[in-house]
Amino acid sequence: MKLICFIITCFLYVQIAASERIQVVATYPYIADIVEKIGTDRVRVIPLARGDYNPHVIIPKPSYISKLRRADLLVINGAQLEIGWLPPILKQANNGNIQPGEKGFLDLSTYIHLIDVPANVSREQGDVHPEGNPHFHLNPDNIPLIAKAITDKLCEIEPESNSLFQSNFVEFNKTWKQKMKEWEEKMKPMKGVKVVEYHKNYDYFLQKFGLIIAQTVEPLPGIPPTTKHIEHVEKVIEHEKIRFILQDVYNPQDASEYLAKKLGIKMIIFPHDIGSVKEVEGIISLYDEMVRRITQ
Amino acid sequence: MKFLCIFLITLIAPFSSLMGQDNSLESQTKAGSPFSQSKFVPDISMIVDFSWVSRDMNNNVFSELHMPGLTRHHNEESQDHSSMNSRKGFNLNYGEISFYSIVDPYFDLFAVLHVAEEHAGLEEAYITTRKLPYGFQLKAGKFLSSFGRLNEQHTHYLDFAERPLVLNAFFGEEGLNELGARMTWVAPTDIYLMLGTEILMGENKASFGTSGFHDVNRIVNIHESENPGLIVGYARSSFDIEEAVVLFGLSYAHGKTRMDDDYSAAAGEGTAIDASTDILCGDLTVKYIIDAIQYISFQSEYIYRLTDGSLYSRDTSFTVERYSLEKKQSGFYSQLIAKLGLRWRAGVRYDLLNLNDVFIGSTSQNFPDNPDRYSAMVEYLPTEFSRLRLQLNHDRSKYLQTSSGLIYKPYTELILQLNIAIGAHGAHSF
Repeated sequence: MKLICFIITCFLYVQIAASERIQVVATYPYIADIVEKIGTDRVRVIPLARGDYNPHVIIPKPSYISKLRRADLLVINGAQLEIGWLPPILKQANNGNIQPGEKGFLDLSTYIHLIDVPANVSREQGDVHPEGNPHFHLNPDNIPLIAKAITDKLCEIEPESNSLFQSNFVEFNKTWKQKMKEWEEKMKPMKGVKVVEYHKNYDYFLQKFGLIIAQTVEPLPGIPPTTKHIEHVEKVIEHEKIRFILQDVYNPQDASEYLAKKLGIKMIIFPHDIGSVKEVEGIISLYDEMVRRITQ
Repeated sequence: MKFLCIFLITLIAPFSSLMGQDNSLESQTKAGSPFSQSKFVPDISMIVDFSWVSRDMNNNVFSELHMPGLTRHHNEESQDHSSMNSRKGFNLNYGEISFYSIVDPYFDLFAVLHVAEEHAGLEEAYITTRKLPYGFQLKAGKFLSSFGRLNEQHTHYLDFAERPLVLNAFFGEEGLNELGARMTWVAPTDIYLMLGTEILMGENKASFGTSGFHDVNRIVNIHESENPGLIVGYARSSFDIEEAVVLFGLSYAHGKTRMDDDYSAAAGEGTAIDASTDILCGDLTVKYIIDAIQYISFQSEYIYRLTDGSLYSRDTSFTVERYSLEKKQSGFYSQLIAKLGLRWRAGVRYDLLNLNDVFIGSTSQNFPDNPDRYSAMVEYLPTEFSRLRLQLNHDRSKYLQTSSGLIYKPYTELILQLNIAIGAHGAHSF
């Protein structure tokens, strides 16, 4: 009896809480930050994955299910980045409002032009994404498109807050444009510079600012490097006179460390999402920090 | 059997050619195949499991082993599926072909074909609802019951080569897999709470069974149970303490037990059981996520079974005796798994059946105490689609029935297992 009372109380509490704000679940922290900036006090945003973990291989905690259960809106990165962990917990959440195709579901990748779309896919090529490179939030030009998609979706869910969401979007866009000028200015000298990255994580960022990706430390996406491949990377670095390796925070760092030490070049620990390094607390500081670390 | 294989091939062949020749298909579609439905091909995957086994026991002795009061020997038990890792040397354990697709705005369909060298069968086929309100979801068809923690997991997703002893004893090698319906409800609370109930036919031969029986003279005549005879209920909850995930659950099953062991036969001796069985299970999983790559996970399930009813025995001259039957049995497994690196996992497991009290009339059967097993494994995972596992088992749970009585037959085995997945296979839950 006590248990039933407890359940009913919880249920009522949640009903009341839900009527206060739109409950949004975002798969990654960067999405949560943009939703918060557009929705401000009309939304309550819960990010699922941690920003310092490998976005491809998140452990689907059962606690995520209870978060999805109560969500009015689920915003995902898409392009199969969540394919290894989200589908079963989304199914188990028993929430019909946020299933793909429903009003409470938003797949950001459908608003973006993806790069590196493979003509043919085979798992011989490692962990390839048939729809293209999913790390598109690392091109600053894509952020306003993401913010627009989120704005439109929030307006659809709560039309009475339309003017708030729109003005927040305009505000966000203005700040973004200013920051964009600053980043472009700082990144100017980097144009044409050749780099090595561990995983094809930063292609959007590098292409945007005109850097050239000479090589990845991984031989294939998701496959750790072999001694033979490291020798190959070493040759590329020497031949192309590369000055630094971009290393993400979640993959093993020993190969990049070894190369950096041996060849006397820099290994830059490069953020990819909010919380990946301590300086990154929001989508703007993510770019601030990427620009700072690469131009240092 | 051959027919089934041919059927399978004809079923798969068009899909595989569709998937393999994307380009030609596209041009074909553009060039005038306005009725092409290739975009609606469901997610199809194939899993194959091979192993190499070394064991300090002959194959024919091994196939006669059983756990007294708990399991029958392999030859009798596995009429549909050949036992995994049963022979020394190379084994083709199973192939598993799965299909998944959204049916329409209301249903999803999931089906798994279990394929062996000589035969195939539909292991699971069920629909689930997509958008019932208030946190409900309905599942209907043939499926693995969500009783306990491990039962609903497919063999290829297990952390060891085989299921724990206690699950094998109470549900058989294929687990509690039944026709029926399930309703789940997820509470709209901060803490994860899920309640579920299942109504199942109760055909599982290890604990339940529906078969009626009667002797030639119909002194005893028990009808076949024609209605769903098994009901399952469970509650599961989970919370996180920092990066430690705690998941625990309670499950309960209540069903009719009807087994005919040659009782209805026209000759020889025979026995039959008409009883009711209750099974209670508590499970606990604690997973500590160390960093982006490593974790350590403890998992345990304790299961208690109580069977209460009648045992009928009939001798060659068709004299019938009725005895009261009471079985109180329980066991557990505990395992510790660590992911040590990007491509390495290792684990240990202990299996024990700590209670095996069977009374026929008021006579205790004095079955051997505390059968147990130690297991250890190391896995190498080149990618998420291939897995090589080396497992060592020291089994102290099996006995051989001879004319002079039960003989204790402990053994040690080494299993090198290769598990391969191709195609579009869905992700697994926690």
